[in-house]
Amino acid sequence: MNIISRGIRNAFRNTIRSGSIIIILALSIGLVIAMLAARQAVQDKIASVKANTGNTITVSPAGVRGFDGGGNPLTSDQLAKVAKISHVTKVVETLNDHLTSDNTSLKSGIEPGRLGNRNANNSGVGAGPTMVFRSAEEDGSSDGATRTFTMPVTITGTNDASAIKTEGSTNLTWKSGKMFDTSKDANVAVVGTQISSKNSLSVGSTFTAYNTTFTVVGIYDAGNTFNNDGVYIPLATLQRLSDQSGSVTGATVTIDSSDNLTSVTNAIKSQLGSAADVTNSADIAAATTKPLESVGGIALFSLIGAVIAGAVIILLVMIMVVRERRREIGVMKAIGASNVIIMWQFVVEAITLTAIALVVGTGIGIVAATPLTNALISNDSTSSTTTSGPSDTAQMGGGRRMMSFAGPGQFGQASRKAVENIQASVGGATLAEGAALALVIAILGSAAPSLMISKIKPADAMRNE
Amino acid sequence: MLVVKDVTKQFKQGDDIVTALNKLSFTVNDGEFVSIVGKSGAGKSTLLGVLGALDTPTSGSIEISDTDIAKLSDHKLISYRNTSIGFVFQSYNLIPNLTAVENVMLPMEFAHVPPKERRDRAVQLLEEVGIVDGREQRKPGKLSGGEQQRVSIARALANQPKLILADKPTGNLDSENGKMIFDLLHKLSRSENTTVVVVTHDLDIAGKTDRTFTLSDGKLVSKK
Repeated sequence: MNIISRGIRNAFRNTIRSGSIIIILALSIGLVIAMLAARQAVQDKIASVKANTGNTITVSPAGVRGFDGGGNPLTSDQLAKVAKISHVTKVVETLNDHLTSDNTSLKSGIEPGRLGNRNANNSGVGAGPTMVFRSAEEDGSSDGATRTFTMPVTITGTNDASAIKTEGSTNLTWKSGKMFDTSKDANVAVVGTQISSKNSLSVGSTFTAYNTTFTVVGIYDAGNTFNNDGVYIPLATLQRLSDQSGSVTGATVTIDSSDNLTSVTNAIKSQLGSAADVTNSADIAAATTKPLESVGGIALFSLIGAVIAGAVIILLVMIMVVRERRREIGVMKAIGASNVIIMWQFVVEAITLTAIALVVGTGIGIVAATPLTNALISNDSTSSTTTSGPSDTAQMGGGRRMMSFAGPGQFGQASRKAVENIQASVGGATLAEGAALALVIAILGSAAPSLMISKIKPADAMRNE
Repeated sequence: MLVVKDVTKQFKQGDDIVTALNKLSFTVNDGEFVSIVGKSGAGKSTLLGVLGALDTPTSGSIEISDTDIAKLSDHKLISYRNTSIGFVFQSYNLIPNLTAVENVMLPMEFAHVPPKERRDRAVQLLEEVGIVDGREQRKPGKLSGGEQQRVSIARALANQPKLILADKPTGNLDSENGKMIFDLLHKLSRSENTTVVVVTHDLDIAGKTDRTFTLSDGKLVSKK
């Protein structure tokens, strides 16, 4: 018999009371573990989101957004230097052009409507570059004098297979076929479902552009009408056919981590000087991780609250126990026990109760971790949707006619999807942290009773007779 | 030898100061068996507490084997109580969730006696007080009052103290068990050459001790 065995045995002097304490404490510790797991899962997710979502930089020729503005295109040589900047992992180059009835057999899958006609009328003197006029004859009208406006077909040359997805659409699916080999100059194309439907295209079908016959090798669904009206061909092919050799109208630079976003953005600005407008996705990343950081904060506060609650439970229990055993403590002091011995006995008792509660609480924590985490995220995402509208309308690049796959709301939805359904697992590290916090609970909970013990005089053993 | 010189003990009770012991002086020789009698509130238990270093006197000195316990530090007092004084209480004050033998081992554990040695001595002491045949493995709740008090006496003797202080040791026992306990204390004081100071209301028991001190209102009114 020693301090430890006495302390352990004392923990079970009143089985019903000890059982009740253990259950209450286990709930508290279970919450601690669940919150630890939630916090860890959220931190992991933030790191993942930062690495995958907020790690792109958009480079456009200075003064140009899509087909708006003016100026000179960038060159592949300039972007080759960008690719060599530290932390840059990939540079996806794109060249956009508009196809008119003069150089393509394709018709846009989007009807102009009032907005399209408004844009046509406001586009400057004469037929602007964004306008396509077809004769009524071409449109099947009996009145040959009438010309009606139709939406142009945007064709994009790209040097990377992930170009479509990189430009923002996280729910891109291939309806048939696949992406072409971007490294080869070939007369192949992938088209969106909207334009393929309008032109009755399927994999293997052909169309003409720049007096060249292209073969459709893939049909994609980018999830919205605008993006599904696009045509993609290899960058080198478009540069050759459109007489824009070496020209690039946009690039998306991917870096290793969003932590380096600012420094790499500055490096690119420095590299390209006034030739380019350089913008990054820091705001988008911030908007994406904001709800997660908020959940992390909630998890942290809940964790602290649960630790305090556990400590208070143990504190009250131990105060009750010390008061109950006042005479016994006096007797122990009378027969030679020091304050330290008695305090340790009570600490061991508190640790015993906490350790058992830890075992039970671990089970509770494992079961509750994922549902609690998702409930926190779900609630927080809902409030973010209500209060943080701008994040949902963030656009990548922007511009009226820029071939962007990050239309209004899409990125926000994708970001929200990215933070939902987090799997919070209770691993060894979480358990170790939980055990350490349980120990903190036991020690904090034993502190005040220990002080009470030191103030009990051995003479109390006789006075209470 | 126990030498008590001008010991005064005062308590603060609200705004008043109560004098529980008023300049007590007496001497008890080694191996002597003395009793302290007096009415309730006379200061008997307070005196016992002060003698046992459970409480400190307001003034005066208490020397046990030439050591003034009133001047010992807290740390030394704990050690002193553990090794030099044995207590026997009216309500036995055994630790309820420990067995009889574990209760007896407790003071020896505090004195850092090796586990085997303390168990052997505890069993031997319990045999001496008649706690045998498996009763030494019972918890206090499974023992009679007389048996519990015998365990309490065995515990008081665990570290072979110079002084045993017994506060109304027969107070909760019937006359037969009371006599048995008194005889046991008497026998052990003789065999172990231990000084025993017993506080009692029972004048028959007091009459059988070597000397009797009578307290009244904190003062020693007679020594027989």
